[in-house]
Amino acid sequence: MEITLKINGAEKKLNVEPRTLLVHAIRDAGLTGTHIGCDSSSCGVCTVVLDGKTAVKSCTMFAVMAEGHEITTIEGMAQGGKLHPLQQAFYDQHGLQCGYCTPGMIMSAHVLLQHNPNPTEEEIRFGLSGNLCRCTGYQNIVKAVQQAAQMLQQPAGAAADD
Amino acid sequence: MKLEYSGQENVQANPEKVWSFIQDPNKVASCLPDLKAVEFKDERNMVATVGVAVGPVRGSFKFNIELDPHPEENKVMVRIRGGGLGSAVDLTASADILGQDDQTTLLDWQGQATVSGPAATVGGRVLDAQAKRLIETVFANMSKKMSEV
Amino acid sequence: MAVESANLEPKGIQGLGKAIKRKEDPRFIVGKGNYLDDINLPGMLHMALVHSPYAHAKILNIDTSEALKIPGVKAVITSKELAGAGLAWIPTLAGDKQMVLADGKVLYQYQEVAAVFAESRQAAADGAAAVQVEYEPLPVVVDPFKATAPDAPVLREDIKGNMTGAHGPRRHDNHIWTWDVGSKDETEKALAQSEVRIKQHMVYPRSHPAPLEPCGCIGDMNKATGRLTVYMTSQAPHAIRTVLSLVTGIPENNIRVISPDIGGGFGNKVPVYPGYVCAIVGSIVLGAPVKWVETRTENLTTTGFARDFHMDIEIGATKEGKVTAMKVYTLADHGAFDAAADPSKYPAGLFSICTGSYDFQKAYAQVEAVYTNKAPGGVAYRCSFRVTEASYLIERSMDVLAHELKMDPAELRLKNFIQPSQFPYPSALGWTYDSGDYEKTLKVALERIGYAELRKEQAEKRARGELMGIGISTFTEIVGAGPSKDFDILGIKMFDGAEIRVHPSGSAIVRAGTRHQGQGHETTWAQIVSEELGLDVDKIIVEEGDTDTAPYGLGTYASRSTPTAGGAMALGARRIREKAKKIAAHLLEVGENDVEWVDKKFVVKGVPGKSVTMNEVAFAAYTNLPPGMEPGLETTYYYDPPNLTFPHGAYICVVDIDKGTGEVKVRRFVAIDDCGTIINPMIVEGQVHGGLTEGFAMAFMQEIAFDEQGNNLSSNFTDYLLPTALETPKWETGHTVTPSPHHPIGAKGVGESPTVGSPAAFVNAVVDALAHLGVRHIDMPITREKVWKVLRQAGVDSF
Repeated sequence: MEITLKINGAEKKLNVEPRTLLVHAIRDAGLTGTHIGCDSSSCGVCTVVLDGKTAVKSCTMFAVMAEGHEITTIEGMAQGGKLHPLQQAFYDQHGLQCGYCTPGMIMSAHVLLQHNPNPTEEEIRFGLSGNLCRCTGYQNIVKAVQQAAQMLQQPAGAAADD
Repeated sequence: MKLEYSGQENVQANPEKVWSFIQDPNKVASCLPDLKAVEFKDERNMVATVGVAVGPVRGSFKFNIELDPHPEENKVMVRIRGGGLGSAVDLTASADILGQDDQTTLLDWQGQATVSGPAATVGGRVLDAQAKRLIETVFANMSKKMSEV
Repeated sequence: MAVESANLEPKGIQGLGKAIKRKEDPRFIVGKGNYLDDINLPGMLHMALVHSPYAHAKILNIDTSEALKIPGVKAVITSKELAGAGLAWIPTLAGDKQMVLADGKVLYQYQEVAAVFAESRQAAADGAAAVQVEYEPLPVVVDPFKATAPDAPVLREDIKGNMTGAHGPRRHDNHIWTWDVGSKDETEKALAQSEVRIKQHMVYPRSHPAPLEPCGCIGDMNKATGRLTVYMTSQAPHAIRTVLSLVTGIPENNIRVISPDIGGGFGNKVPVYPGYVCAIVGSIVLGAPVKWVETRTENLTTTGFARDFHMDIEIGATKEGKVTAMKVYTLADHGAFDAAADPSKYPAGLFSICTGSYDFQKAYAQVEAVYTNKAPGGVAYRCSFRVTEASYLIERSMDVLAHELKMDPAELRLKNFIQPSQFPYPSALGWTYDSGDYEKTLKVALERIGYAELRKEQAEKRARGELMGIGISTFTEIVGAGPSKDFDILGIKMFDGAEIRVHPSGSAIVRAGTRHQGQGHETTWAQIVSEELGLDVDKIIVEEGDTDTAPYGLGTYASRSTPTAGGAMALGARRIREKAKKIAAHLLEVGENDVEWVDKKFVVKGVPGKSVTMNEVAFAAYTNLPPGMEPGLETTYYYDPPNLTFPHGAYICVVDIDKGTGEVKVRRFVAIDDCGTIINPMIVEGQVHGGLTEGFAMAFMQEIAFDEQGNNLSSNFTDYLLPTALETPKWETGHTVTPSPHHPIGAKGVGESPTVGSPAAFVNAVVDALAHLGVRHIDMPITREKVWKVLRQAGVDSF
């Protein structure tokens, strides 16, 4: 069946089966930054943002259910050729190693910071507990989210450049 | 994963009715919950397709069912082998059919099943509860249908 | 979309010891990594596998007719079709062979039985579900201790009665090999004469590396050219190319293996798996590219597991606590095929590092491997071959000994360390340790955590009935396999290669035979070359993983990259510098002997102002050469290390235990590592964080468990638990630096030390918290339930 998904502001016409998962539809649309890491909605590497405010593991939704929603993936985070503060912070803080969990982790952190712009370390750890990382031990990811929180609270243009 | 169960069921029908019921694969098959299709091979053997849900493992399982009545011993044996969705089930059960003074029948049964594949590995935690419910449903259906005869 | 690299500050020459940001990150943070499943080729087919529900069964019939009726399904293959191509079985790295698809019987649950090829991922999965297989279940061997019982069912009927295996005689059809090292008689004598002796049985349970990206492969046979391109999640692409050539008969120059970005490996992506072989065979047969990406369930149930060592140790000591001798017996559960990823001569890997950091005069170790109805493997999961098991064994045992002697575990360790003056140190089991300063590292750790204060606090808490424990691990690793005289895999020597090409404008491309999976080679190799050649680190790009372009090498695992390829990188750069020096002399119009390399420039001796940079030399190498000199500035260097390297560390863990629930809370964890020279401290710290987290996972959560029928009870991430951000402790890291005397830059490798060293620290801390209750050992994973039971058995009140 034919559906139209709005991903990162662009409309994409896709031919999917009713059972096609959103993550497969996104990847088949050429946006391979959203990854797949498990069969049980445990790992979070497929996390995307729905309607700008909800982090969703895109393996928990059928593609057809996403029609009419705005989907943001990692490819939609950098704006105007400038990295999103979270991307910059993951880079600055060595918040990634193999990079496989990074897109999902950044999308979850993005939603976390919208709901809680100034989270404690505990709140960050809780907020990211649906996203597994096998390389970093999370410590630098927590630091990256803290840095991004700071950057987002500073007026535009005055972002920390460490 | 090995499962073992036993129990006693009182059926509101006399032993003769019970015997005629369980020697008719058609009737026995009608007691299986969520039966999707059944094919009778002979008077003892049938292949039943049954809807199964064990945790996240959901879909159709196909079972070869063999009824092996031993009226001289007042005993019936059942062997079930089959599976689906990459899972396998091997089950043997037997029941002593004991007539009661009040024209009812006591089924004194016991069974063992071995479950392999995702139904055990993924569904393992809920398998026991599901199996118990399945057994209860089968007996409830039987009891109802036998008393209707 | 091009993301501006304005924030990639120009770093200039950034050599060793600089915490520069990683060069590989810009593509990952914008979702532009290129992992295997991101690759799609025109006309590509998809493959799905049919798996066995039984752990041991005869295959009576395979009916593929229903599968072939499903729209989009192109073909189904079974062992019969593979046999036609001579690929029903393939050799394993350990000298055994394994079925590609089940041949007559299945030997473990989820074993691959058939492969279905289809036009879409969905059709392939539907096809796999429609394949009907008739089985006759056979008795199952799950417990390795029952594998060699006289009445145990024979698992490997293909080698039934053949009592000589790849590693010597076999004493039972389910026995694989027995390997030993050291002097048994002398050790037993020394133990008999020892004043104090401890014995302990401990299990290092079966675990799985479970990288977040599962394994996968695309086979792409071009029938027009006869060239086979294989994209594969492989930590060792060059070795894979050689193996593929040997098993398929395709000339090696007609095979190109590409390892794209890898989403974590941890040893899981070293072996060759049936899925890879089937995808390649499918491509050859069907003449189209074939992609196979495994599911998480397939990953956890069929690909290389780790550990599963059942160990018995006996240690002798004097009353004063000086160790005298050690004897170890280990039963290793290898599953259905011996597919352990170890160097050929070492069937039990480097397990004989089990004397650890201590000066044992006598030691003997014996390891026996057996077949069971479980998936094959035995990979070096974030460790050098079997070193995690060895380190856990000795570090756990030192605490058991301390307990027996009623001595502080730190004091016992300090009393027995190999001293700096003893290096190079010949160990009782045959290794020559390169360097180390164990006492210094432990003292830094004790100081950092405030050990004396913690012991005081513990005594006070114990008096109040509260449970707090402190665990120490002062491990020594053995990594960097390895010297070609001892180390090979399938006969291929374990050296590694580096190629450096300096371009006319002073930029460079560097390639290595290793393949990173998150370790940061694109940054650290560039730093080594920047240090050695004085080139801008920004202008050096690093490429790995394409066998058509990179020099041969054995790959990245067992912390071997820095000891091998890192050495090749430094020595290759130095070879370039020798030629550059001649060009510099030409440019400076002086004799070669009048030029020296100072502050990353060529300077005329005694005339500091007169110098040329490597950039200028690079340009001259293509434009203005001394007469008769070969143009260009590049080299390929193969480095065969003279010895292994021996990183070490001192880890201290503090835990608090909830008496009511059995919950163990890791309050603090200090890790002081000594990996020799540090190339990039930021990356080293990141490696330590990650390794500690995997050690934590093994100590408290991860286990691949089976029921009596051989059902794998840990087949997905809801049953095989990985730590999340929430339960992962906060790590406190630090280091001492004892360079390796034989490595070109003194580096030893670090990626695995924390996984190797930390499990014992966690377990020691938990046991220490419970020691006064009579607890001497608890096997991993230490779940709440286990601790709760121990507490109830010891009669401890909940409140």
